[in-house]
Amino acid sequence: MNWWQRLFKADGMEKALDAELRFHLEQQVADKIRGGMTEEEARRTTRLEFGGLAQIKEDCRESRGTLWVASVLQDLRFALRQLRNSPGFAITAILTLSLGIGASAAIFNVIDAVLLRPLPYANQELLVFPVMIGRTGDTLPSSYLSYLDVRAQQRTFDALAGYSMFGRVNLEGPNGPVALSAVKSTDNFFDVFAVKPLLGRTYLPGEDQPGKDNVVVLSYEVWQSSFSGRTDVVGKDVQLDGSPYTVIGVMPMGFRFPLDAREAVYTPLHMNPSWAKSRGMHWMRTVGRLKQGVSNEQARTDLNRVMTDLARAYPEQETGHTVGRLLPLDVAVNSLDRFGKRTLAGPLGTLALAVLALLAIACVNVAGLLMARGIKREREMALRSAVGASRARLMRQLVNESLVLCFAGLLGGVLVGWTVLKGMNVFLVEAMPRGADIHLNLAVVGVAAALSLLASMLASVSPAIRLSGTDPNRALRAGGAGAGTGRSQHRLRSAFVVTQVALSLVLLVISGLLLKNLQSLLHTNLGIDTDKILTTRIELSKGRYAGRDPIATFYNPLLAKIAHLPGVQGAGVIDLLPVQAWGDGYGIHITGQPPYPPNLDMGAETRYVSAGYFDAMGLQLTRGRLLSPSLDKSENLAGTMVVNQAFQHKFFPTGGDPVGAHIDDDPKPEAKSRIVGVVTNVRQALREPQMAEMDWLMDEIAPKDRMQSLNSMALIVRSNGDLTALVPALRNAVHEIDPTVPFRTPATMSGIVSDSLTLDRLEGWLFGIFAALALLLAVIGLYGLVNHEVELRTREIGIRMALGSTRIQVTNLLLGKVGLLLFSGLAIGWMLTLALRKVLATVVEMHASHDFLLLAGVTASLALVGVLASFIPARRAASVEPVQALRTE
Amino acid sequence: MKNPAQLDLPQGTLDLLILRVVALGPIHGYAIAQRIQQMSQDALQVQQGSLYPALHRLEYKKFLAADWKPSDTGREAKFYRLTHKGKLQLESETASWSRLTEVVGLILQGPEGESA
Repeated sequence: MNWWQRLFKADGMEKALDAELRFHLEQQVADKIRGGMTEEEARRTTRLEFGGLAQIKEDCRESRGTLWVASVLQDLRFALRQLRNSPGFAITAILTLSLGIGASAAIFNVIDAVLLRPLPYANQELLVFPVMIGRTGDTLPSSYLSYLDVRAQQRTFDALAGYSMFGRVNLEGPNGPVALSAVKSTDNFFDVFAVKPLLGRTYLPGEDQPGKDNVVVLSYEVWQSSFSGRTDVVGKDVQLDGSPYTVIGVMPMGFRFPLDAREAVYTPLHMNPSWAKSRGMHWMRTVGRLKQGVSNEQARTDLNRVMTDLARAYPEQETGHTVGRLLPLDVAVNSLDRFGKRTLAGPLGTLALAVLALLAIACVNVAGLLMARGIKREREMALRSAVGASRARLMRQLVNESLVLCFAGLLGGVLVGWTVLKGMNVFLVEAMPRGADIHLNLAVVGVAAALSLLASMLASVSPAIRLSGTDPNRALRAGGAGAGTGRSQHRLRSAFVVTQVALSLVLLVISGLLLKNLQSLLHTNLGIDTDKILTTRIELSKGRYAGRDPIATFYNPLLAKIAHLPGVQGAGVIDLLPVQAWGDGYGIHITGQPPYPPNLDMGAETRYVSAGYFDAMGLQLTRGRLLSPSLDKSENLAGTMVVNQAFQHKFFPTGGDPVGAHIDDDPKPEAKSRIVGVVTNVRQALREPQMAEMDWLMDEIAPKDRMQSLNSMALIVRSNGDLTALVPALRNAVHEIDPTVPFRTPATMSGIVSDSLTLDRLEGWLFGIFAALALLLAVIGLYGLVNHEVELRTREIGIRMALGSTRIQVTNLLLGKVGLLLFSGLAIGWMLTLALRKVLATVVEMHASHDFLLLAGVTASLALVGVLASFIPARRAASVEPVQALRTE
Repeated sequence: MKNPAQLDLPQGTLDLLILRVVALGPIHGYAIAQRIQQMSQDALQVQQGSLYPALHRLEYKKFLAADWKPSDTGREAKFYRLTHKGKLQLESETASWSRLTEVVGLILQGPEGESA
């Protein structure tokens, strides 16, 4: 019989053992009777001789090598029974653990996917983004010509590729047009990442030149979604923006560059011919792979050597350009700004701390629960040890009970973690470039589980040691719950409650500040009424508009149609949607003003708009006139534009009139662009201060160049009615004019605002949830403690009241204790918050004066909740009837 | 009621005695205890608390096998019998026990032996 048979036949085994011993007993009794004893006496002496039957059985099991598995299983069965007997305790403990484990598993998964897992490229440590700094000190993309020079003359890169992400392309798929990200790059793009295609090949050298460049490499996602993963796709022709491209390869799953380019196709550059010839046109981003053994600094020096040579050769266009930094790709990926100074590591790290705090609170709570339960079980343990259970055996049983809790908690935790990740999925994908890679990773769950297993083991061991050491004599004699061990455990539990209150306070403070920030960001005065504006992006297929004017054939008819829809108050288009997109600008100089100091940022954002844009957005004209197709034509020698009030403040701080002023965008005086009007501000980016902006009428672009600049525009529709009801009509309007345009469901401007705050909302919510859980757990802990205190002290309270204490005095006595605990918890919590201030600053800044009310409120409400939680048991204490209390003992 | 002539068994000898008794033929636990007591002329009284764990240990080590059979009284009892492995074990243990007592005796009664 091997061990598992033994396990499963355990029952038969037990019966056999029982029968064998009983046989022996009977025989002995029979012998004694035969020897002359009465049956009663025979039985009595036999029993005495036999000693503990249970003990013998246990020894038999033990000597059978009754494997530890068997006794563990027995313990588990017993533990389950015990837990079933106290469902309140079991549910609280399991729920607590599930929440703790689940939350930490979810957060560690995010951290693993976003920060720890390697990027989907070979040699990621060698990959860098050169960050070029222009004359104004701002970052500057590269021009094609200077890129070619740098590529040819550098000596420190294995490959340096240029790419642009301008693009979205429309792929004519089997199910109608789909809008995809288009990553357009030089021929050596894939050499940088050294990732082999799954199917086919990547670009050949020279394949980025016109004539050879109608080739496309599909990302895995596009291959799956638009080509159903067919392997014969390589060599096929597909229509991108109405032009035929040959599919030459498919990249493996997980490969994306840039990492936020989901649903992407990769094509050669296909740039505007004029950009290819212009050294002044800065539009190309670069990414490179360093040669093995070359340091970041060596490479930067190398690139700057080339830049210096270029400045000598082309002083007009290249002077003052330097490579400020080679931003490692793994830093850039999680960067929250353009310079890699703020990265996701900060908020995620703080989140990890928060979740650990939550886990700690959960463990402390479970330990507290186990202790409280332990005190009630002192008698049981004493009884067990009196009938022969060894201390080790009792320990094992107690630890097993916690194991059962822990496993149940783990299962619950996996469930909670999975749900949290699913729930956050949309948020995560939007908030982080690698958000789409976040899935519940069992290895991470394992780590979280191990962590919490360890923690809850620690939490259970100390009560277990105490309990298993119970002196049976004393415990059995003492009658009620043993007061002695109760006291010292009580101190420990008090410490637990203080810890919980302290950690809860930290979490509450952070989440309070975060939610306050979020509120203020959500209610930033953007200069527009976000609830009245509906917007969607329109992407025209370039092939379809080759040789056609998109304004005359598409935008004008569309806007006219929309303007006549019921409820619509205005409609317009703009190339970069306010709030959502910014950064397209350059340094300017107002004609006639003295030269600006070289390091001062004198840039202004530029936008192309339709004439109806200002009304649709709700911007007011404050000076001059708005733009109009009849006045601001492409045939005009000089451009005309409307600027915003921020522009006026920036460039005319002393009060000159911007209207009629020119900017030095052309050497010839008669071709310098002129300001014709000033409008109110609309915020370009939520988190940035208001920027100066110049808006040009889209009609000012020469018809042949229009498609290049206007193929992708944000449609803006203003209505005072139900915005969502407009959507079908908008879809019809778009498709009546051009059925090949993919219609993306419009969003309200307020939706765009909250979308751009995804990370903030995610943070705010997570911290809020954590803080709420922490508060809940702390309250449970406090309630349990006071409840227990009342139970322990019923007799004492009875005596006090018998001696003349009033109910109020008794209540005060208990609440005084609670107050002390709360006060210590809050004090420690504040010390902790202040000590962690630096770490927390990556998530939220704290300004004592500014946030005083909030901070005081949080502290006070935590205290209040604590007092309320202890009020119920305290009242019960006060309602103790002295006579009864004394009699129960 | 403990017999003053009773001896304490050295560690491990009980197993040997049990094997020896069982070697005489299938026998149940109670009878084993009786038989040992008899054979030792009441000098050894095996306690149930050590007998049964020992029996189960020997069964687990496959020195003994057991069957349930009716006893003389008609009740079902667990009868132990020696396995082949048990027989070998008995032989080797008996040999080493004889050798041990011989050696111990040699030393205790040796010419230089002072009173132990």
